[in-house]
Amino acid sequence: MAKTIRSLQIRHVDAGSCNGCEQELTALTGRDYDIQSHGIDIVASPRHADSLIVTGPVTDTMALPLDRVWETIPRPKVKIAFGNCAIGTGVFQRAYASHGGLADSDIEIPGCPPHPETALRLLCEWMTSHRRSHHTYIS
Amino acid sequence: MPDSWQLTNRDHKAAHHELLTLTASSDCSLRTVWLNPSDNQLSVAEMKIAEESFPSLAVHLPETAWDEREIHDMFGWIPTGHPDLRPLIRTPRWPETYLPLRKNQQTPRWLEVEPDLPALKVEGDGVTIMKVGPTHAGIIESGHFIFSLIGENILHLDAHLFQNHRGVEALLEDKTIDKVAPIVTRICAADTVSNQTNWASAVERLVGFTPAPGTVLQRIILLEAERILSHLNDLAQIPAGVGFQVAHQRALAMKESWQRSLELLYGHRFLFDTVHPGWTRSAPADLLLDSLANLHRQWVPWRQLVVGHHGFADRMSGVGRTTLAQIDRFGAQGVAARAAGKTFDARQSTAYYEGFFNGSVTRSAGDVQARFDVRLDEVEASLQIIESAAGQLEIESPTELEFLVPKDLSGRIVTFTESPHGLNSHDVTLVNGIVFRYHIRSATFRNWPLLAQAVADNAVADFPLINKSFELCYSCTDR
Ligand code: SF4
Repeated sequence: MAKTIRSLQIRHVDAGSCNGCEQELTALTGRDYDIQSHGIDIVASPRHADSLIVTGPVTDTMALPLDRVWETIPRPKVKIAFGNCAIGTGVFQRAYASHGGLADSDIEIPGCPPHPETALRLLCEWMTSHRRSHHTYIS
Repeated sequence: MPDSWQLTNRDHKAAHHELLTLTASSDCSLRTVWLNPSDNQLSVAEMKIAEESFPSLAVHLPETAWDEREIHDMFGWIPTGHPDLRPLIRTPRWPETYLPLRKNQQTPRWLEVEPDLPALKVEGDGVTIMKVGPTHAGIIESGHFIFSLIGENILHLDAHLFQNHRGVEALLEDKTIDKVAPIVTRICAADTVSNQTNWASAVERLVGFTPAPGTVLQRIILLEAERILSHLNDLAQIPAGVGFQVAHQRALAMKESWQRSLELLYGHRFLFDTVHPGWTRSAPADLLLDSLANLHRQWVPWRQLVVGHHGFADRMSGVGRTTLAQIDRFGAQGVAARAAGKTFDARQSTAYYEGFFNGSVTRSAGDVQARFDVRLDEVEASLQIIESAAGQLEIESPTELEFLVPKDLSGRIVTFTESPHGLNSHDVTLVNGIVFRYHIRSATFRNWPLLAQAVADNAVADFPLINKSFELCYSCTDR
C-alpha cells in the first residue's frame, strides 16, 4: 500500500553556488527551522540518501562529479534544485563554464537564496502530496 | 638579469606595500597596483606582453604564483621562469584553443573527459595519498584536496580548487553599467557588500561623484553588518570542528537572529543588492540600534561560554600554526594574517572609515585559537562602529538619488575594501559605458596557498578544524 512520504534523507552537492544557498541550507538544520523534526536530514553519503539537493548553476568541472553522486543514490530518489541558479533562472546561466542549472529536477525551491521558511514549506508540501509508491517516486 | 617589471614589483614588496591586483587584459597589457599602507598612496606598474610571454614574478613574490597561472589559463600567455605552471582553473575538458578572456571567443564544446588535474604528491616509503572531494559529506562548497600523509600527519596538501568556476569575469565583459551590479552582488554571499561597494565606488570615482555623507554612513553600517554575519558564521563553524555542539548551535541561532534583523532592515538576509553606484539602501537609526541590542544580549553569554571552556581552548591552541614570516611571504590577508601579527586592515586605508576605525585586532600565535579570538574581538569592534555610525544618521535617512552616469563613461580604476575575509580589490575598465575588463581579487585567493602551509605537520583529523578557522570561501576564489 502506498504511504505518504514522511522523510527525506538528502545528500547535498554544490555545483557552483555563491555559498548563499549553502548557508541557508545550514540554517535549515539549526534550531529555528529544525528540519530533522520534519523528518528531513542532510546525510553524509549518497548511499544513505534518497534525494539530492543541488545548489549553483552546474559548472562544467562539477558536472561529472554531480552525475556520479546522483547515480550512487539508490532508487527511488528525487532531485531537488535549491535556488535560482540550480533551477536555471539565476544570473550565471550564461557564464561560459556554467551548464545553466538542472534540466531534470523533481522539486524546485526558488529564491536567491531561498528563504529557509520557503524551503521548509515546499519540502513538507511535496512530502504530503506524494506517496511512497513505485509509480510516483522513481526517477 | 631581472628586468624593470620584476625589479619594480620586488621593490614594492620589499617596502611592505600590499598587492591589490595583478591584472592581464586582452590588449596585451599587464598591470600591478600596490597600496602603501603608511601613506595610502597607490602605485601602478605596467608592461606590454610581447611574443605571448612575460617575465614571471612568482619566485620572489609567491603571492603572484596563482595570478600568473590564472593568466596562463585565461589568456595563454606564458610567465617565463614560473616554478609550477600546472593549470589552475582550466581542466582537461577545455578545448586547447579556448582562452576565455581573449576577446571574440565562442563558448566551447567541452571534451568528454574527466576534469581532474595532475596532483603534486609526496613519494616514498610509508607515504599514503588521501583524496577528498570534490563533493563532501556535508553542506560545504566543492573543492578537491589531495593529501600526502605519513601516519596520521599531513606532509603535504595539494588543494585543487576552481571546481566552482563559473566564468564571472568573462560574463561581466561587454555588459552595460546597469547590468553589472546584480552579477557582482552574487560573486560570493559572504563578501557581497564588499564586492558591491567596490563596484559602486569604481563608477562613482570614474564619474567624479562624491556620495552623500548619509550614503557613506549606510555603507559603513552595511560593511560592518556583513562582517558580523560572516564572523558569526565562522565562529559557529569552529566549535563544530571539535564537536562542541552547544557553542555551534547557539552561534548558529545568533546568526539566524542577525539575518532576521538584516532582512527587516535592508530587505535581504545576506544584504544582496543593497549598495549601488550613487546610492545605498538605508535603514533607520532606531531600528538599527534595536537590532544591535538584541544581538548583544545573545552575544555576551555566548562569549562567556566559549572563552571559559578549557577543553575548547585546548583543542584550538597550537593547531594549524602560521608564522608572520609565512604571512608576509604569501601576502596573506584578513583574519588569518592578523592572527599571526600582521597589522594591516584595509579599513585603515579607506577614506570612508576616518573617525570610525580604531585600529586593527591582532594576535601573535597564528593558530586556530588566534583566528577564533581575532574574530571575537572584531565582532565587538564592528558592533561599536555600527553604533557610532547609526548615532550620526540624520533623522531623515538619505533617499535614493538621481545619479546620472554618462552613457559613454570610460576609464580604468582599482577599488578595494576590507571584506570579512580581508583585502578585496576590483580592477575595472569601462569603454564607452561598457565593461571591457573586470578583474576580481579576493583575500581568500591569497590565503589558500597559506592554508596548505598551515596544515603541514598537523594530524589529518584536524584538517576540518584548521580549514574552518581559515573559512576560505570558494566562490570568490573560483569566480
Ligand atoms: S541562487 Fe543566488 S544565493 Fe543561490 S547560489 Fe545562486 S546566486 Fe547564490
